[in-house]
Amino acid sequence: MSSNRSLEPSSLSLNDLPWQIEYNNDRCTLCGQCTAVCPVQAIALHPFQKRIVKTSVSKNAEHSNAYDTFYGIRQDTRVENACIGCAMCTMVCPNDAIRPRKNPGLDRMKFHINQHGIPRRRGGRRNDSGSILDRIKFTRISMLTDPALDAGRHEFEMRTLLGRVLPPRENMKQLREKGWIPPVREIYPLIIGGMSFGALSPTMWEGLQMGVAYLNEEMGMPVRICTGEGGCPPRLLRSRFLKYVILQIASGYFGWDEIIHAIPHMKEDPCAIEIKYGQGAKPGDGGLLMWHKVNKLIAAIRGVPQGVSLPSPPTHQTQYSIEESVAKMILSMSMAWGFRVPVYPKISASSTSLAVMNNLTRNEYAAGLAIDGEDGGTGAAYAVSMDHMGHPIASCVRDNYLNLTAIGKQNEVPIFAGGGVGKNGNIAANAAALIMLGASGIQIGKYVMQAAAGCVGTEEDRCNVCNLGICPKGITSQDPRLYRRLDPEDVAQRIVDIYVSFDTQLKKIVAPLGRSTSLPIGMSDALGIDDKNIADRLSIKYVV
Amino acid sequence: MMKSDYIFIAGKRDEKRISSRVLEDLIHQHVKRGNRKLEVQAFGQHGIGGRLWESYPDRMDIRIIGHSGQRTGSLGTPNTKIEIMGPASDDIGWLNAGAEIIVHGSASNGAMNGAAQGKVYVGGAIGARGMTMTKRNPRFEPPELWVLGTAGDYFGEFMAGGIAVICGLNAANPEQVLGYKPLVGMVGGKVFFRGDAKSYSDKDAKEVDIDDQEWEWLTQGLKTFLKKIQQPKLINELAVRRDWRLFEAKNPQEKAEGPERKSMSWFREQVWDMELGRGGLIGDLQETEKGTVPVITKGEYRRYIPVWEHGKYISPCQSACPTGIPVQQRWAMIRTDNIDEAISMGLEYSPFPATVCGHLCPSPCMASCTRNLSYMSPINVRLLGQAAQNIKPPKPAKTSGKKVAVIGGGPGGLSVAWQLTMKGHTATVFEAGQTIAGKISAVIPESRIPADTLNAEIERIKSYIKDIRLGEKVDAEKFNEIKKSHDYVVVAAGGNKPRSLPIKGAERALFANDFLEKAKANRIKPGKKVVIIGAGNVGCDVATEAHRLGAVDITLIDVQKPAAFGKEREDAEKCGAQFRWPVFTKEINSQGVKLESGELLPANTVVISIGDVPDLSFLGEGLELERGFVKVDETGRSSDEKVFAIGDAVGPGLITNAIGAGRRTAIAIDQLLKGQAPDVGRLAPMIDTRRVNLTYYNPRHDADTLESCSEDCASCGNCKDCGICVAVCPEGAISRQEKATGFEYVVDESKCIGCGFCKGACPCGVWELIPNTPLA
Repeated sequence: MSSNRSLEPSSLSLNDLPWQIEYNNDRCTLCGQCTAVCPVQAIALHPFQKRIVKTSVSKNAEHSNAYDTFYGIRQDTRVENACIGCAMCTMVCPNDAIRPRKNPGLDRMKFHINQHGIPRRRGGRRNDSGSILDRIKFTRISMLTDPALDAGRHEFEMRTLLGRVLPPRENMKQLREKGWIPPVREIYPLIIGGMSFGALSPTMWEGLQMGVAYLNEEMGMPVRICTGEGGCPPRLLRSRFLKYVILQIASGYFGWDEIIHAIPHMKEDPCAIEIKYGQGAKPGDGGLLMWHKVNKLIAAIRGVPQGVSLPSPPTHQTQYSIEESVAKMILSMSMAWGFRVPVYPKISASSTSLAVMNNLTRNEYAAGLAIDGEDGGTGAAYAVSMDHMGHPIASCVRDNYLNLTAIGKQNEVPIFAGGGVGKNGNIAANAAALIMLGASGIQIGKYVMQAAAGCVGTEEDRCNVCNLGICPKGITSQDPRLYRRLDPEDVAQRIVDIYVSFDTQLKKIVAPLGRSTSLPIGMSDALGIDDKNIADRLSIKYVV
Repeated sequence: MMKSDYIFIAGKRDEKRISSRVLEDLIHQHVKRGNRKLEVQAFGQHGIGGRLWESYPDRMDIRIIGHSGQRTGSLGTPNTKIEIMGPASDDIGWLNAGAEIIVHGSASNGAMNGAAQGKVYVGGAIGARGMTMTKRNPRFEPPELWVLGTAGDYFGEFMAGGIAVICGLNAANPEQVLGYKPLVGMVGGKVFFRGDAKSYSDKDAKEVDIDDQEWEWLTQGLKTFLKKIQQPKLINELAVRRDWRLFEAKNPQEKAEGPERKSMSWFREQVWDMELGRGGLIGDLQETEKGTVPVITKGEYRRYIPVWEHGKYISPCQSACPTGIPVQQRWAMIRTDNIDEAISMGLEYSPFPATVCGHLCPSPCMASCTRNLSYMSPINVRLLGQAAQNIKPPKPAKTSGKKVAVIGGGPGGLSVAWQLTMKGHTATVFEAGQTIAGKISAVIPESRIPADTLNAEIERIKSYIKDIRLGEKVDAEKFNEIKKSHDYVVVAAGGNKPRSLPIKGAERALFANDFLEKAKANRIKPGKKVVIIGAGNVGCDVATEAHRLGAVDITLIDVQKPAAFGKEREDAEKCGAQFRWPVFTKEINSQGVKLESGELLPANTVVISIGDVPDLSFLGEGLELERGFVKVDETGRSSDEKVFAIGDAVGPGLITNAIGAGRRTAIAIDQLLKGQAPDVGRLAPMIDTRRVNLTYYNPRHDADTLESCSEDCASCGNCKDCGICVAVCPEGAISRQEKATGFEYVVDESKCIGCGFCKGACPCGVWELIPNTPLA
């Protein structure tokens, strides 16, 4: 390609790109692995010309002018081929000759990524490493004031309750008068949040489920996983492992006829039903599984023909008010399993969440409320939604919990918090902070992708191509060439590692607090932060 | 009080218990006085019997009666022996540094906690957290704890050394003689025990066999122990080897391996697939191979595959050539030493390769040459044309007997006639004038086309097209006659009627073609001042000729930016011709050209050079026209099936356009004559020039011979057969193969990793990297 060209408004130079390839010609062995592995064809072999001019001031000397060709790796500057920083090139390079570097300045790509009038869409995360949760400290260390506990030695019951937890007296009264009490599950407080079969690759999904089954059956940890929208493989529905699964229903209702057909054959009830109303990453927006991703497998599981686009609208149709939404959906889903299965809604964190919570407290079938904060992940969303829409999880959980406290129903409607938990790797500290702010349990998604499957995404706009089906780790792709890079067994093993280590860490946090048999839900006197305003807002201690 | 040589120390004074501090003080006073045997009547005082280093090197014997308090013998020193004549309280032997402590009863929680040396013999059971955090200092013998009964819960936590012997006698729960969850955090030491020890921390401890040496040590130790606690007869009951078991700490390596868990592959096979069915979660929906594929893959697992797209796209030069000459193929032929073939190829496309390609054509091929993109000189295609001046065409095909009339002997008409003749048909050319080649011979100045070149080519044409009728004016009647007597008629009458201007005095001006025709024959004297209205290339020719004939003040005027370009314009400028625009002519009078602005451009001669239109009156009424031109389809066929039209009769254009149209029409007529549907075919799309790599060429080099041009040609979209791809492929996956139709570069997919290096390195842009076929 000629370096001489006419400029277009979106002509970019290497300097304008968000990720710049640092390449060392001296070390390169020209093996082709980097270009073969690059998910976006951001790099290619290129012949370069080298001019060697030999001159002399001596009158009779002959000047010479020679051209030589050498080969190297060149980065493409076209918007559609811009490097995404995944560093797969670095991963495969046998000579450590290549790596992407984040542009230290402001990349101009941002101004040109809307080619053909299409705003940027991406998968992944908010790309903001700031985290209030990371800043919260556990300041109540009661080694002498309370019974001293040792995380490594003492026995802990790190369990939480999913379901409407009535006071014992009221429970008995209900049983006596109505012959029914709300179903409650005792589960591990760290839940793998809803990621659909379709958003995730088959190997990833199976790996997660297998790991969860192992934790339950081999480790005695009652870990639960939510399916996300898009149905559930028929075999899983008919297996005993269904007990570990929270089935999600969302506005597209995909796969639910298959679930209905499976109900008569179910060996176990599912753990719970999650009704998805919103997602922290893209509040108020829906999703679209593009037709080309709806392959034979996805089609079978979602109960649709192959090759059709599957829209999940931003809202559930036929539900026009919060009362109606909550009442209709919770009642319908409760009925499906004879009121034996807890049913709860999931919403995106919002300044309006209190209205939802207030409503739930008046609905005897409501089993909890899952709130997804702005830092939640997604398979695909408009960047503007991800970057600018939503509500941080910490204060949202806190407001809801304190509201419950005000009406004396704290822990009666358990809150499950998600969105950015562990986004910088501090999974247990973040989870514990949310629990002490009032969450009964935690939902995680991106952390699982990173820790269990090696997702290369970070909070600096790295990779973020989950929506394109080209995931270099095979986590979010339906292409066997990619998803077979991932072994479900390895994912499962990592899930076990994650939970076992999380468990140790959580104990390390709660042991000095003197808690061993019940989670310190809402134990906010243990929390401190070095910012007065945040401390005031969250009603926790200001510590410096 | 026992009768003995012990000095009695009472733990009470005046019926009141003395404090631990005071009792400690009392004991030390005795030690300082040299008393070495003390009997202490204890009332729960703390730490009795420890810290007696003041007697060194003498030994101390402490006997405790009453209630020994917490931490009896704590911080005990090696010279001390303590005998508690009843049960002991918490933390017996705490932080023991060498004291021997005998308890004639049970001990409560924390026995031996933190001890590093010394021995504690307990003639009963112990409470929770015995032998915890004990350690061994290599300078001394390890601490030992001997217990006749059982140990309480959480025994041996964080045990880092020392030996515990738990005889488990009269165990209330024989399954847990070490209590609940013993040995958590154990990193060193040994625990001998009789009975069972469920719930021990297998993460930290492991059971090992008792070897002979250890058994010997144990039996000897038991004898001593039983003697100390005055129960020697139990030896027969206790010293039964098969009843004893031994725990040791796992070493760090063993701990790093973690507790023995079932492997995930076991779980998958035995639990997961067992419950779900073969193939796991989706085994019923899809057959998936187990195992992973690597990131760098070969064969069908490559994400992208290279394709050798030789000839899939045409080069910009070919794409730009109105005649449709595959320019670049000719350079390829020269590179393979088929120079004659490359040159004579021109005649397959045009009867005027030297005249037009070599001289008159503005060479869109060169203008579009990819090399221009890098400011490198375009390949000089004119050289190829010029070389064709004296070559002979191939022998025409066998005569078909079919007759085609061509009205007009200009370049377009001759092109049709030439092509039809080569295909074996009989072409008859009706030319109104006395020469053939139309404007080329009649109008275009000799400065632009050497006479010998033109004459040579005209002679060549005449020698092949036998029936050229000069001076044959065709009118409507004659046209109908011709149409009837021929299979097809091609109207190639050209744009022979000059366009004029609707202004006053237009009749005073000459038309460009008339001027040029007269000038060429030297039959005109334009005078000193010449104004040319219309500053196109023909206007430039007028200027050049006027200059040759003596004009000195030549002005070309135009209403818009002059369209003139290339050699014609350069030549006109060399003659001192001035270009003026935008100017609007008001009238032409005897003095010259008067402009709308009122200015007068003085002129001896005024020439109007604003193009020609065809005179199609002879066609009669039957033919559909469009803005004065014959309306035709892509084969040149008019609304009358038997009549085709090409060249300026169809629309204004370059000579090369007329020649190209003639060739296409000849192909269509040939097909019709053979009973086929006319199809002139479509050229492949042009290559994206970004695929071509000019890096390989010397930008300072201007090729000036056929050979050097052929080398510098980038061969856009067509394989140059350079083999760079073969050399560059990191996997050696590309090979060159000879085929009947030529050569081919082939990818061995069992070697290729889809890196695209072939594409990146290819000078010609022949290799493409495309997504592999989706896998099910």
